[in-house]
Amino acid sequence: MADRHVLGLSALYHDSAAVLLRNGRVVAAASEERFSRIKHDPALPLRASRWCMDHAGIGPGDLERVVYYEKPLRKFERILVTQVLGFPHSFNAFRRGTQAWLAEKLWVGNSIASGLGIRPDRLLFSDHHQSHAASSFYCSPFEEAAVLTADGVGEWASTTLWRAGPGGLEPLGEILFPHSIGLVYSAFTAYLGFRVNNGEYKVMGMAAYGEPRFVEQVRQVIDRVPEGGFAVDTSMVSYHRSATDAYGAAFEALFGPARFPGSEFDPSDAEGRRYADIAASIQAVTEDLLVDLAGTLHEKTGCANLCMAGGVALNSVANHAVLTRSPFESLFINPAAGDAGGAMGAALWAWCEVLEQPRPPPLERADLGQSWDDAAIEAVLTDLRYPFERLDEAALVARAADDVAAGSVIGWFQGGFEWGPRALGHRSILADPSRADMKDRINGKIKFREMFRPFAPAVTAAAADEYFQIPPGAEHVLQWMLMVCPVRPAGRDALPATTHADGTARVQVVHPERSPRYHALLEAVGERTGHPCVLNTSFNLKGEPIVASPMQALATLERCGIDALYLGSYRVVHAADE
Amino acid sequence: MSTGAMISFPIRYRIISFLSWFVWKLVPGRGATKLAEFSYTEAGSGLDMLVAAEQTERRDMRLKYFRHALDEMKHSRMFRARSESLSRERSRTRAVLDDGDYIRSHGIRSDRSLFEQIPEMEFLAFVWAHEARAFDQFQVYAGLMRDDPETSRMFEEIGRDERFHISYSRAELERARERGESAAVRRAIWKVEWRRFSQMWLRFSRDLGHFMAGLWLSLAYLLLVGPFSIIARITEKSEGGLCAVASRPPAPVRAREMG
Repeated sequence: MADRHVLGLSALYHDSAAVLLRNGRVVAAASEERFSRIKHDPALPLRASRWCMDHAGIGPGDLERVVYYEKPLRKFERILVTQVLGFPHSFNAFRRGTQAWLAEKLWVGNSIASGLGIRPDRLLFSDHHQSHAASSFYCSPFEEAAVLTADGVGEWASTTLWRAGPGGLEPLGEILFPHSIGLVYSAFTAYLGFRVNNGEYKVMGMAAYGEPRFVEQVRQVIDRVPEGGFAVDTSMVSYHRSATDAYGAAFEALFGPARFPGSEFDPSDAEGRRYADIAASIQAVTEDLLVDLAGTLHEKTGCANLCMAGGVALNSVANHAVLTRSPFESLFINPAAGDAGGAMGAALWAWCEVLEQPRPPPLERADLGQSWDDAAIEAVLTDLRYPFERLDEAALVARAADDVAAGSVIGWFQGGFEWGPRALGHRSILADPSRADMKDRINGKIKFREMFRPFAPAVTAAAADEYFQIPPGAEHVLQWMLMVCPVRPAGRDALPATTHADGTARVQVVHPERSPRYHALLEAVGERTGHPCVLNTSFNLKGEPIVASPMQALATLERCGIDALYLGSYRVVHAADE
Repeated sequence: MSTGAMISFPIRYRIISFLSWFVWKLVPGRGATKLAEFSYTEAGSGLDMLVAAEQTERRDMRLKYFRHALDEMKHSRMFRARSESLSRERSRTRAVLDDGDYIRSHGIRSDRSLFEQIPEMEFLAFVWAHEARAFDQFQVYAGLMRDDPETSRMFEEIGRDERFHISYSRAELERARERGESAAVRRAIWKVEWRRFSQMWLRFSRDLGHFMAGLWLSLAYLLLVGPFSIIARITEKSEGGLCAVASRPPAPVRAREMG
């Protein structure tokens, strides 16, 4: 019997992506930004789609279905209605937004068909939050689960609740735009001087320096309502009527002047403290609202397992709160919980519920992107005249561990690039987390990013509990660095470079069967430093997507203070160093 | 070899200088925005050069393209840093680099890189012509910004890098001529010039289109959206909180619907 292929696509808002299923299993998944090199690229993912098909050795004619992750007409309806309701304040949003819709977004079906060269009748459309829900449940190991999705907004819904099982996904309730936990969080992101859809995790990092003393004020913007869920006071925000402003004058009157983008953040001065306290307050309220929703969902389903998706599920501090403060016993989140993950969900939903095929096995690996073999890497190194050493498996791991233990910062480029926004040991910058100065060194000299931002530790599964207080049921999210856990006192002393200001860390737990080379490196580092942990940060510079190809890795090596690069089986240093 | 050299450099210098004064000096703060735009353009060029380094079948050119890519990326960072610094100095309330879609929306990067769109000879001709023009411009800007020594020095430094780009691309075109491919080189240069003018025309058409569409949509907003907003507000339901999901048709039917 011939193989059956389904391609899922997400696009035209942010983080567009393509995912290819073969007989229901994910065989290739990639965000467009890794190919276009434009961070959070919203463009139709034609490069990513072409790579997926090349990787699988198929052409457009072999695609049984192509599934877009949302319903464009419903989304346009919401935008028009919102702009009509926002009259006359929505003038600029209408002019800009409607142009974009009339020129491109309404015709997304035609663009996909012509861009990929497929017959239009092969195209299907999922719902935005259904795609999110499917991306989590159908990748999870759970037979049955409750599903909570929360993001900015899809067609109309911003938050949805589902029951999932052998019969598929059953919707239980939704919260509609403009009431959106994701958009309110983004409004605070803009207020705190960061870019919307990019800087939300910086707010999360900033929150650790503050106390939630503005919770009452935040609750004037967004708060729970008696019938369940939450509501937003729309007089405080502007995202529903403006294309450029997320919050209004009333918001600024409530919280004080906004932080200037790019300005220094010093939590020890009064102004910095105020911003940190505001960040801590929106974080606390977000956690409370998500815990409430999880409680409601548990009451409705009685399930022990929870699946989460949507951009809000990338809030790794809130994920810890949901698991530890709600009745659920186990949690699963897709490594690409945001809009990129919608591509995977759309494809899986179509496979399981439209084509009515058996559910595929759980997703266990995130290295679903493009990879290069040693021959291709060696050709690049030779052509660029880099001096290199070729090492066998044991020597490579030992040499990298020596470098890390000696205080070097290394680039680690191994196998296929990761699915989702986190570097999980395939396109990572690694260092020794036991050195207290390492955080400032990497923030300042290598990543060129804000000094207050923390770094994440990666630890072997066997040693994880020794350093971190890992809640039961978190194993499915910890492998993908999607939860922040308290660091045990011994861990705080041992890993100062990855322990955040509030004594927590966004830990990645590494399993030997899923990432053997990376796991071996951690063990080798442990033999040298006494701690089988590394500081793991994404292999990119500020404002750039994570590197995908060897050439991009070398270009990054040349522009920052990485000491050595491990490209497949090769160790490379700066061209000038040899 | 000459491109854009139908007018001698001193005259071009004066023309560019005259026009640039309006761009850089007339509106306070415009310089920061302009530098931010340069940052995006250089970033786009860096990406194109990196793709060229990855995809060229001429292994002797790989290193040159790679070094060129690194230069463009460095320039992008320099422009960005200076732009951010000038924005802060002027206490502007908004960052000038907020628009992440800039590279896409201004055609700096499309679904295929420049190297994937044109033959390598034409690509080299493009690099040579483009860098030569940039060199001229940056010389003018360095002179124009004498009252801002830091920005002026930055343009001079970037100009020095452009010399390398001009010289290696010109050398490659000269080598092609020596191999007896003079006609192909000439054709490539003309294609580059034609492409430049057609791109300018397309940009102008696009901007005009945007302007006209904006005009019509403004009219539609005032005439149609206003009256509808009264009806919409009467029927508005926006209390928030959890609500039930309307019953839905089966998945195979729903999957065909765009709305």
